[in-house]
Amino acid sequence: MSAEPQIELVGIDKHYGSFHALKNIDLTIPKGAFVALVGPSGCGKSTLLRSLAGLETISGGTMKIAGEQMNGVPPRKRDVAMVFQSYALYPHMTVEQNLTYSLRLKRVPKAEAARAAREVAETTGLTPLLGRYPRELSGGQRQRVAMGRAIIRNPKAFLFDEPLSNLDAALRVHMRKEIRALHDRLGATSVYVTHDQIEAMTMADHVVVMRDGVIEQQGSPLELYDTPASKFVAGFIGSPAMNFVPGKVSADGQSVQPDLPGAGSVALGRSVGAGRSVLIGLRPEHLQVGGDGPAVLRLPVSAVESTGSMTYLTLGGDPEIMVVDTGRTSVKAGDTISVSIEPGNVHLFDPATEKAI
Amino acid sequence: MAKFFNSLRDGVGFDLILVGAAMVFLLALAGLPLVYNVLMSFQQVDMFTLGQLIRPFAGISNYVAVVQQPEFWMVTRNTLVFVVGSMAGQFVLGFALAVFFAQKFPGAATIRGLFLVSWVMPGLVVGAIWSWILAGDFGVLNSILRGLGIIQSNIFWKSDPSFSIWAVIIANIWLGLAFNMLLLSVGLAAIPRDLYEAAELDGANAWQRFWTITLPMMRSTIGAVLSLGLIGTLQQFDLFPALTEGGPANTSNVAGYWSWQLSFQLYDFAKGATVSVMMFVLVLFASILYVRSTRHEVRG
Amino acid sequence: MTRTYTPWALLAIALALAAVYLFPLYWMYVTSLKSGSEIFANPPSFWPAAPNANIYADVWARRTMSTFLWNSVIIASGVTAITVILGTGCAYVLARYRSAWIDLGLFAILMLQVLPASVMITPLFVGFNQIGLLNYPRTAVVLAAAAKAMPFFVVLVRATFMSVPRELEEAALVDGNSRVGAFFFIVLPLARNGILVCAILTFMSAFGEYIYSKSIIQSPLLQPASVGLSGFLGPNSSDWNAIMAYSAIYVTPILLVFVILQRRIVSGLTSGALK
Ligand SMILES: Nc1ncnc2c1ncn2[C@@H]1O[C@H](COP(=O)(O)OP(=O)(O)O)[C@@H](O)[C@H]1O
Ligand SMILES: [Mg+2]
Repeated sequence: MSAEPQIELVGIDKHYGSFHALKNIDLTIPKGAFVALVGPSGCGKSTLLRSLAGLETISGGTMKIAGEQMNGVPPRKRDVAMVFQSYALYPHMTVEQNLTYSLRLKRVPKAEAARAAREVAETTGLTPLLGRYPRELSGGQRQRVAMGRAIIRNPKAFLFDEPLSNLDAALRVHMRKEIRALHDRLGATSVYVTHDQIEAMTMADHVVVMRDGVIEQQGSPLELYDTPASKFVAGFIGSPAMNFVPGKVSADGQSVQPDLPGAGSVALGRSVGAGRSVLIGLRPEHLQVGGDGPAVLRLPVSAVESTGSMTYLTLGGDPEIMVVDTGRTSVKAGDTISVSIEPGNVHLFDPATEKAI
Repeated sequence: MAKFFNSLRDGVGFDLILVGAAMVFLLALAGLPLVYNVLMSFQQVDMFTLGQLIRPFAGISNYVAVVQQPEFWMVTRNTLVFVVGSMAGQFVLGFALAVFFAQKFPGAATIRGLFLVSWVMPGLVVGAIWSWILAGDFGVLNSILRGLGIIQSNIFWKSDPSFSIWAVIIANIWLGLAFNMLLLSVGLAAIPRDLYEAAELDGANAWQRFWTITLPMMRSTIGAVLSLGLIGTLQQFDLFPALTEGGPANTSNVAGYWSWQLSFQLYDFAKGATVSVMMFVLVLFASILYVRSTRHEVRG
Repeated sequence: MTRTYTPWALLAIALALAAVYLFPLYWMYVTSLKSGSEIFANPPSFWPAAPNANIYADVWARRTMSTFLWNSVIIASGVTAITVILGTGCAYVLARYRSAWIDLGLFAILMLQVLPASVMITPLFVGFNQIGLLNYPRTAVVLAAAAKAMPFFVVLVRATFMSVPRELEEAALVDGNSRVGAFFFIVLPLARNGILVCAILTFMSAFGEYIYSKSIIQSPLLQPASVGLSGFLGPNSSDWNAIMAYSAIYVTPILLVFVILQRRIVSGLTSGALK
């Protein structure tokens, strides 16, 4: 992430009538980066991506692609490729015609276009399917055609709008790696929209978390995981989601006391405002059942779900606390257990602003 | 200028051209005439002023004259009978057929589709055929009804004042029945099967299922079909010249045909315009019903 | 739904219902083949004693049907051309956007759809008279009938366009098309079938158009077949075999097209009419 910026967004605003869909979005994407836009449904990810493609007109701000100002430029002059959630394959064209459509529009000679199609079909494994129509393909094959149609363009940027959400789980995991590998091989710049934080975390160099039309936080996947800037990001990134327990910082500011019966105080390893009320964030995978540290929580187990490799324990009732235990456990529903946590893994949030402390 | 052409290729200019051309055309050939119609209904129009736009103002005298015509109330009554009779017949029979064809049997869709030939036939031809079927002395309907023992002597459908409007209604029901059935079939097909299965498990018999599931689920379809039926019936014209020409003695005349007669047989364009303005008000009412019943689709 | 009667019994009932419903058509053909005296037989014969098809040639010549039908074709073609050219673009725009303006446009279209021809004919006639269009009566009829046909066409074709996924057009734009190119090369080909069905429906209904032609076209040389039919049709008509032969010649092409395209027409109508 050092190259010159390929995409620069400054102060982007988008209104749909009275609805403010994008609010003052600033985002710089270096050449060659793989950036994921992630957030709950309806937060404006697609709107931002479509604005980049020129499919939506932005109401304010400036947008540059490869240094050129793009405000008001029609999609066909932006030289970006897009992969749609529904794939948007032209049903009246064969796979080969779908792949070469953009080349034909650019009046690339027939032979050259055919060669490009063969090449792309090779990389995407579509060679035996070139003569088929989209309706004769499986979901995964259609997805590859949509990818191939983007690759053949060698565009300034790839835009993906939830391209994997119509695939089954196994194929989705496989395609994640394949898309990322393609990106690296082509040295492309990619913007990838998804509502699935795992996809964002595993694929992207840089993750942008959006909420209600604003960028909540952006950074590398591990930055977001380790130092979430707000309760929203903390709860959104990571699976199962982080537990939140109200609590109070001790008089010396060195530890925090969860507001739950039977809970012990937790050392923070740092100093925060003495005596203030906080929300304590505890990731399920950081809570250790009967660990060495002093017990933080002591609660009855209400449910035990085992996947074989992991065991998910639900503790207490209000709020429910989720604990992930690797391996097997003898804990049963109804038992009361103690869990502990390392001081460095405790997150604190301001109950009013929900920002990290 | 370049910006203008770019917008035609890439922006909303393209949309504006497409929608604008059609809108201008419709405005010129439907919107303007409508306004002109209202204007004429307040003017004195005769052979000398026919070619002028500015004619002597007549106030509401055309309206007064129309209402005072001896046939006015007869025509009003006939229009109501024609509308209600046609709609009721088309809807009830159409619904019955739609329910019948919703059963699963081989060829159901194809046979149902054949019914629609009535709808694509020219109205005048339909009128001609029914005129022959309904003929008094030699009409086949009379001889079938006699054969079945339903009537003893021939009914003079077209020339008996108490039957003449029904002759047109019968032909109109035949004409519109298939379209009603088709639309109702679509509504029926949209009701999820499992609702019926659930109701059956809850112990509802076929009759109860019809009243508690079919009808309520068809509410919006029925609304649209009824208002389309109303509109179609008000638009019906061709059957009248083919069957009865509004006669005898206006006993089968309705507003639309009367308006045409006033203008094109009596050359009283002012009165013709006046009657058609009155009819337009009726149509406006029908279209409000229609738009209300299709509004959820319009917003979609 | 019920297990007691077999589908075949239902099929038999369906065929019987269809036979009853289509009897008028049958009666048209049968009557046209009967002799002048047989049509007045009592009770009527349900099959002609001596089918005689000569009447077709006779009616064709005596009623100058070639002229009438040719005029019908000209008028219907003109109406269809204007309706398709202007209506398709309008339907596309109304399908593509969602806004208060679009709702207003749709509302206007729906209002026009309900206007009866009998309301429009008086002002159209007087207006055409004033601008001298009555000297070109077929053109006048084409314009008037196209305005009548367009709203219905737009409503149906709009439904067709709505079924073309928006993403396809957007993909084409990103792939390097202008709006014009995407419309002609992606959207139109995908909506082609629906447009074709609606164009055929428009043609058929314009082929049977009566009220405007009857009111506007005075010269028998320019009148369409519907007006030609009305010439010997009235409460006191008696040469029914000739009238039915004329009717049969007139509607048989329409019926053939309909039967061939039945499935498409029905599905086009059902997807559009309720939307
Ligand atoms: N054409 C439109 N008109 C009005 N509102 C829209 C339009 N498109 C999207 N929106 C609204 O903008 C918000 C963001 O939408 P979108 O970007 O599609 O969300 P997502 O993050 O799920 O992709 C949503 O609340 C949506 O309802
Ligand atoms: Mg989205």
